[in-house]
Amino acid sequence: MRPHRWKRLLRDGLVMAALAAFALTVVLPLVWVFVTSLKSSPEVFRSPWSLPASPRWDNYARAWREAGIGQCALNSLLVTLGTLAILLPIGSMAAYIFARYPFRGSRTLFGAFLGGMTFPLFLTIVPLFFLLQALGLFDSLEGLTLVYVAYSLPFTVFVMTGFFQTLPQELVESAMIDGCGHIMAFWKVMLPLARPGLLVVGIFNAIGLWNEYPLALVLVVSDEIRTLPLGVANLMMTEHYQSDWGALFAGLVIVMGPVLAVYWAFRDRIHDTMVAGALKG
Amino acid sequence: MPSSGGTRRSRTTDRGRAWFVAGFLAPATLLYAVFVVLPVCQAFQISLYRWRGISEQKTFVGLANFQRLAGDEVFRQALGHNLAFLLVGGAVTLGLAMAVAHAIHGNGRWARVIRGVYLFPQIISMVVVAVLWMFVYNPSFGILKASMQSLGLGRFAMDWLGTPGTALPAVLVTFVWHAVGFHIMLFSAGLRTIPAEVQEAATLDGADGMLRFRQVTLPMLFPVLRVAIVYMVIGALNVFALVYLMTVGGPDRRTEVMLTYLYEQAFKHSDFGYGTALAVANFAVVMALSGLAMLLLRRDPTEARA
Repeated sequence: MRPHRWKRLLRDGLVMAALAAFALTVVLPLVWVFVTSLKSSPEVFRSPWSLPASPRWDNYARAWREAGIGQCALNSLLVTLGTLAILLPIGSMAAYIFARYPFRGSRTLFGAFLGGMTFPLFLTIVPLFFLLQALGLFDSLEGLTLVYVAYSLPFTVFVMTGFFQTLPQELVESAMIDGCGHIMAFWKVMLPLARPGLLVVGIFNAIGLWNEYPLALVLVVSDEIRTLPLGVANLMMTEHYQSDWGALFAGLVIVMGPVLAVYWAFRDRIHDTMVAGALKG
Repeated sequence: MPSSGGTRRSRTTDRGRAWFVAGFLAPATLLYAVFVVLPVCQAFQISLYRWRGISEQKTFVGLANFQRLAGDEVFRQALGHNLAFLLVGGAVTLGLAMAVAHAIHGNGRWARVIRGVYLFPQIISMVVVAVLWMFVYNPSFGILKASMQSLGLGRFAMDWLGTPGTALPAVLVTFVWHAVGFHIMLFSAGLRTIPAEVQEAATLDGADGMLRFRQVTLPMLFPVLRVAIVYMVIGALNVFALVYLMTVGGPDRRTEVMLTYLYEQAFKHSDFGYGTALAVANFAVVMALSGLAMLLLRRDPTEARA
């Protein structure tokens, strides 16, 4: 049986080497971004793979202040938190009705919400561009926030409806016997129970909103209200002329760092939500 | 269900319930109707107009935009590139994802490492992915050039994104790098649903390696594979940020895709009627191809053999 065992060892070794190569392909470019964000521009040019002679943290200061990434980060934070502050309550309220208060036509309305997950975003981009102008919301953080709420509703309503369906109905009934109305039963009993669902839907949406590019590209023009993805994309264009590569890479780290940190902290729950959303949707 | 018709329910509580239902649905439904449903309807309408963005110049032209589109060489090229994303990028992505998911199914040390990192490219912004890979391909100080030089292959280095023949393959590599994690996730979830006994029984019957994969794993993964293909159709036909940032569709339109062409027509040339017609055409192609994929994969092809 010896040759058989050798063959198996060799095969396992090859599989492991292939997996290691795959992991490196995923991680190495991201590490490279971080390392490069600490180098001076001449160092970037001379040897892309080398470590910085001494870490240049001032790249971050320049990106933050001179390149305007700080303002962009603030805008992104405002839009992301603002969207969640509207999205989570109104999405949960609608989901609660779909899960617990069926009425004639509720399945159709639920279907209309889910339909938003299937059609391409660009179908609506031209009408949306003019709609926001007509409403006086074009090129404003408020307008972008409302659009983000609307386009995040399908996924949020879908996941939260599933979540409310799993909660025991008896709790609501006993709360209502204790004198709670429908509204109080929702806010006092059901919503606190749905906190795990809200957390994961909130994190999931927050990552998507922080990263969002095409809608912001079309709906925002002024420098002062650029979100981070717009700011970094713009920085890349301008750095072609100014060649402050360290600041550009610092900008990239500012965009991806928070997302990777949040993902790492909640990776199992994010993973499960993505699977549930992808396979049942 | 404590719904309608109970004789003990008074009229006032029924009415209260109706107000409650309406009140809870109203904010979400209103926002969704205004910012999603209305623009969807308007898109189909606008695609029938010649419109330069100033309301006075909005003229109804029927299907003229679509006739123009049918003869538009750039649109045909763009659609072809989208199909390259789907057929080449998609096949590589799905094959690689299947292989990785299969290899990490189980509990090796590498499996745990991979499980921690494979979604990284998926969860970082497309802008970061695009800029990062522009620096991989950068002709003066990119990683790829530096790596080739250290291997003694420096003279083959070139401006990959700026050369007509290599631009599309270079963007496709980035597309695969970004998309593969999502599909590993899908296939891993699918593999977990296959009962261990089935795998063991196949092993006892002498099926090993590739044979077991083909005869046991693949058929049982079929429902997930179908979902993955539909997602790939949608993803490949809706590429935008990656191409727009890396090449702006160039050089010489060699990487142009439907959505970058749409963006150019609508927001660079202010040809909003034609741009919207492109959006409707893109929507139709997505629906047709994902419908076709579902239809073709409706039945498990391996089922008939059993």
